[in-house]
Amino acid sequence: MNVERLNGLSIDALYALADKMGLDLPIELERVFVVEALLEAFEEDSEERKASGDAAVHIEEKKYSGSELDEIDASLDAAPCIESRYNETVVHVIARDPEWAFVFWDVKDDAFDELRANPAFSCLFLRVVKESVPEGKTAGSFEVVVGEDDDRWYLHLPDEGCSYHVDLYARLGNRSRLLAHSAVVRTPRALMADSLAKLDADAATLATLSGLASLEIAPAPEHHPSRILGGFDE
Amino acid sequence: MDRGYVALVLNAHLPFVRQPDYPSFLEERWLFESLSETYLPLLRVFARLEADRIPWKLNLAVSPTLEAMLGDSMLQQRYVDWLGAQIELAEREVARCADDAAFRPLAAMYHELYTKNREDFSVLYAGNIVGALDFYFKKGRIDLMTSGATNAFMPIYRDYPEAIAAQIEAAVVSFRAAFGRSPSGFWMPQLGWYPGVEEPLSAYGLQYTVVSTRGALLGDPTPRMGSYAPVSCPNGFTAFIRDVAATDAVWSETNGFPADPVYRDFYRDIGFDLPLDYIGPYVEQQQIRTFTGFKYWAITGPGDRKVPYDAERASLRVEDHVESFLRDRVLQAKAAAAHMGGREPLMVAPYDAELFGHWWYEGPQWIETLFRLAHHTDELQFVTLSEYMRANPENFESVPEFTSWGDGGYGGVWLEKSNDWIYRHVFKMIERMTELAERFPNESGLRERVLNQAAREVLLAQASDWPFLLRAGKSGSFARKQIEDAVTNFNRIYEMLCANTVGTEWLTRLEKRNNIFPSINYRVFRRKR
Repeated sequence: MNVERLNGLSIDALYALADKMGLDLPIELERVFVVEALLEAFEEDSEERKASGDAAVHIEEKKYSGSELDEIDASLDAAPCIESRYNETVVHVIARDPEWAFVFWDVKDDAFDELRANPAFSCLFLRVVKESVPEGKTAGSFEVVVGEDDDRWYLHLPDEGCSYHVDLYARLGNRSRLLAHSAVVRTPRALMADSLAKLDADAATLATLSGLASLEIAPAPEHHPSRILGGFDE
Repeated sequence: MDRGYVALVLNAHLPFVRQPDYPSFLEERWLFESLSETYLPLLRVFARLEADRIPWKLNLAVSPTLEAMLGDSMLQQRYVDWLGAQIELAEREVARCADDAAFRPLAAMYHELYTKNREDFSVLYAGNIVGALDFYFKKGRIDLMTSGATNAFMPIYRDYPEAIAAQIEAAVVSFRAAFGRSPSGFWMPQLGWYPGVEEPLSAYGLQYTVVSTRGALLGDPTPRMGSYAPVSCPNGFTAFIRDVAATDAVWSETNGFPADPVYRDFYRDIGFDLPLDYIGPYVEQQQIRTFTGFKYWAITGPGDRKVPYDAERASLRVEDHVESFLRDRVLQAKAAAAHMGGREPLMVAPYDAELFGHWWYEGPQWIETLFRLAHHTDELQFVTLSEYMRANPENFESVPEFTSWGDGGYGGVWLEKSNDWIYRHVFKMIERMTELAERFPNESGLRERVLNQAAREVLLAQASDWPFLLRAGKSGSFARKQIEDAVTNFNRIYEMLCANTVGTEWLTRLEKRNNIFPSINYRVFRRKR
């Protein structure tokens, strides 16, 4: 991205690009200032990406040769041209990393109409249930109320290396009705499976020589404490 | 320590882009550029090493989508046409730069590159690049691996064993068709491994892969040799481990060899620098500025002020960088060997193939020099992964953790706000495909064709390239359209089968356009019990 390429875009495209990059620009700003703000944002973005540590995917981007359409593309956040849902009652969960999972769900129109017609219906909520309980970790569940128009959330999960499932419920007065049940997912570990005490000196040295520090991986502690978030039912 | 071992692993992959409905298509250039700057230059490197009797060995994963495109006659012809235009542009550039002492030799360099490419592609290999790779495979120089059928990021699909099996089966079948034997190595797309994937991989006769350092170090139990020896899963499947130091020497955008100021700059290209009146015939639709491959500037340093590229100076720097790479590996091997109880350390250096030449213009020369200089040292030896496995069948038993080589080390690149909408559709496609395969297990004729095309569309929708591009903001609308087309095509087929009506004309057109995996068997999507 450079000034020449930005100058080739319409003012609407520049504003759309600014929106996409999270810039809150005053309306009817002079073109030159919009371009300047975008260049600064691109520079910051580039520095952040370089500093993010793992270059493999940044390098991979290079094989997809660019064109000036990339900027125009970036300015058009078009809605997908396919149906956004399948009118079914379902909940899916995908573990993304040791801390976060992506959950998406849907409620069939008929079922939702029936719920809305029930005066006791107050909300939909997700119940996140921890299934497997390795030594030193605690079982339990927590609930997240979701909006009627929501259909996806990123959920922070309290423990790495644990299995969870997510249930979709409707709250009806003091009762809850189970609508859908996800498959079980397991969050990957962020800490080594073994503590340093369990490794002999050679194995510990080889782990260090393999880049433990640069990958910011820590060994498992001697006594692995449970990390419990507020709202987690014990 | 007697010696350390180095395994160079290249992953050659491009997503399936084939648009017969258009006379030319911007994203088809990805293949043409990779052929011109990576695959053909690398084949010339291999030929020179062979001619000089330099021992060289490497692993090369060729993705099934790339394999299909390399073997496609329409794309081969389009490549020859594109080369013709590149040579014409080179001729014009030679004339334009005739009085410019700095740029004249560079214009001549590009003229030679594209002319040589046309000669090699059309005459020497007769368009058969897969055959050229097979030649070195059969000679034992290249240990060929396959990869996920459409480069799916497998951890996301772990709840769908049918989809994982389909990614593996289609890849193995394509490999056999192209190379006449079964693959033993499997490149996990994006190094996306998860515990349990070793089972379907082994079931298809695959024996080894490469995992990220993070995945191995987080494995259960912790490997006792760090990344300096592979680990074996309980079922015998071998996971080689990416070496952080060796890969960073090349990968790092800021400190890696390719960032050296004397090397050719990737970004400054006459496609963006010269007037459209001049460059128009060589960019997309005569008006959309794109990279042309004609780049005259050295990296120089930060900022827009660049000095002209000096190929001879860059060539000398390549030697320095090879010496540095070898020296560092020897030191690294010595440090590790002292803790390995007599076992010789292995350093696995996996890279994307296309970045040698395409991004790092001097990359193929670096690989050639690497083998030439390594030939003179007794302290390091290049091996292939199969060769190493045969010599070292016993490994520490451990199962690597779910990880990738993406930012953050897990799945965040392929699952974030720009691309998460994809999975609702692809999961539904997989569920419906499984339903179809169960409902119609023994079809033949037209209905089998329909079901096979449905299976192709599911595989195409799983490609990790599209969420990657959506996140990167590069070719985003193209990436989105690839997903939407696959979803739309699949849903149409699903509805046709539910209504028991098949539009043969539409199906035939679709089969011709998305002609990948001709031997696909939709029954792979039958429920795994």
